[in-house]
Amino acid sequence: MRNFSNLLIKEIKELLNKQLIISLVFILVLFNFIGSITKSEMKKAMAKQKVAVLDLDRSDISRNLIGALNMAGFIIEEKTGEKERVIGEVRDSGLDLLVVFPEGFGQLASSFQPVTVETYSFLKGLSISGRTKTEVVRALINSTNDYLSNEFLKKKIPDADPKLLKAPIKNREFVVVKERQAEGSASMIVGALTAQNFILPVILMMIILYSAQMVITAIAMEKQNKTLETLLTVPISRGAIVAAKMLGATVVGLLSAVIYMYGFRNAFSFSDTDVTKALGGITPILKQLGLTISTQGYVLFGISLFLTMLCALALATLLGVLAEDYRTAQALSFPLVFLLMIPYFISLFADINTMSLPAKILVLAIPFSHPFFAMQNIMFGNLNMVWLGIGYNFLFVAVLLWWTTRIFATDRVLTMKLKWGKKKVVL
Amino acid sequence: MAAVLEVEGLKKRYGSLEALKGVSFKVEEGEIFGLIGPNGAGKTTTLRIIATLLTPTDGRATFLGYDLKKNPEKFREKISYLPEEAGAYRNMRGIDYLNFMARFYARNEAEAKEFVERAVAICGLGERLKDKAGTYSKGMIRKLLLARALMTRPALAILDEPTSGLDVINSLEVREMIKGFTKEGVSVLLSSHNMLEVEFLSDRVALIDQGVILDSGSPAALKEKYQAPNLEIVFRRALQ
Repeated sequence: MRNFSNLLIKEIKELLNKQLIISLVFILVLFNFIGSITKSEMKKAMAKQKVAVLDLDRSDISRNLIGALNMAGFIIEEKTGEKERVIGEVRDSGLDLLVVFPEGFGQLASSFQPVTVETYSFLKGLSISGRTKTEVVRALINSTNDYLSNEFLKKKIPDADPKLLKAPIKNREFVVVKERQAEGSASMIVGALTAQNFILPVILMMIILYSAQMVITAIAMEKQNKTLETLLTVPISRGAIVAAKMLGATVVGLLSAVIYMYGFRNAFSFSDTDVTKALGGITPILKQLGLTISTQGYVLFGISLFLTMLCALALATLLGVLAEDYRTAQALSFPLVFLLMIPYFISLFADINTMSLPAKILVLAIPFSHPFFAMQNIMFGNLNMVWLGIGYNFLFVAVLLWWTTRIFATDRVLTMKLKWGKKKVVL
Repeated sequence: MAAVLEVEGLKKRYGSLEALKGVSFKVEEGEIFGLIGPNGAGKTTTLRIIATLLTPTDGRATFLGYDLKKNPEKFREKISYLPEEAGAYRNMRGIDYLNFMARFYARNEAEAKEFVERAVAICGLGERLKDKAGTYSKGMIRKLLLARALMTRPALAILDEPTSGLDVINSLEVREMIKGFTKEGVSVLLSSHNMLEVEFLSDRVALIDQGVILDSGSPAALKEKYQAPNLEIVFRRALQ
């Protein structure tokens, strides 16, 4: 145990070197910088903004609409004069939106004839605030249209409810999950669950990838620095050497992933309060449908993730043995990245359950796939799939660990290498 | 004197290449035994097998009565191996490297400290031990690694080309370190293609070529047998 901790501490110290610490600090600074830019843009979009208005009509309706714009949080800068001149004036000023109410607007609108409001957006970039302004103006025009059409219908058919006339069919939505049923929209529930869990695949990918790359690098560096031979002759079992490398890489990989995720979360401001607010109304529906994760569910997910990490580490150790130096180690980590990308993108953009059987088998044959789909399966009560994944990964890990320890116990740890020219593995 | 290491009919095959074709020799307690031969003769393969890095295809090696195949861990406890192209962890300070290695062999922290103190005295690197190994010259690395190999007073130190790539001054210092160490009664098995170096260091030598031991004995006895002024000529005549 003393020898193992001696080796483990050395592994952690070797991996957590100055270069890694600098790159982690750089990631934090970079994300902080991106975050501050994003937040300032969001702030700009949320703050009261100036809108130029040219009211050539000056009717009650146009004045009311301008008042509504003011109520919607805009600072109105009223312009007078000819339209073309005003457009030029606004273009040259710092403003980026002009709303023009044409002459006769009020009269045409109140007599229920087609009428046009012109909006001019002055694009100076791809900022969020420019987009939100036009969206607010469009919403105001829509509600004015709604108001005017209601008035028209009231005038023409006084006894009828205009709302009923415009939308006689109402839709009551229900969602059914297995035996449970709740009133609500499926798209809303899917949207809420996606918002709640979207960060999970990113975290999974980071943890697995960082740890695996750490192992490959650790072994490759032993070879590059010519320290492996000496290490293999010290009185400690080969299994302990493998375990220390894997555990050390896990610790440093987890730490790197946590720092990366912290920076990522800060930068893109996915604060808990925002998510909680968005989910607030839907939480009772999710509970009613059983779409919440119990403690047992989290434990099951934890087991799935742990076994997947072991798979990645064992596979990375094997690849590390093939590496001759740091450069080849980087190239050898590519198959791992590729295998991770498949379940990552499928979990983001597709549903594994609706895929064809051969495609499904191919995806699930990748041991890294299982935790990506475990949360969804736990939520929807497909526990058999989760247990099958755990069993498959357990077997995969057992075989890989046995093979890795065997390789470390024999000459192969020194003689096994990838021959790039002949593309052949010498075992 | 009793033999600490006995090697009998050691064979090693890499695919179709037979690197060792039945090597046999004995290393006695407190002696320096040198394996000499040209590049590719089988010296490093022999040392790597005894250091438990490679498994022999056939043959037997016993160390202090323990069989290599059955008890490789016993070999690792009592031997120290210095590979030809060994390095140290670049981000580790010299002193930390010695501490790290000492802990594998020591029974407690006090003994580990004792090992490190001995290594500090052997290597003579002084204050430079506080610097990272990545800043060391080749000679300094070699002295650090040699001190690491000798600090635990192993029953057998296996040194593969101990002065490989070193300049004259560093080579002399390393040779003196090895000579001084055996005065403490420890055995050394070393290899070199520098036959004059082996002649200077070794009590007995074995001449190896193409995986076969051609002859063995003390340098003086071999020189007399082959009527040669030095081991280089001995080797050439043994080949004939």
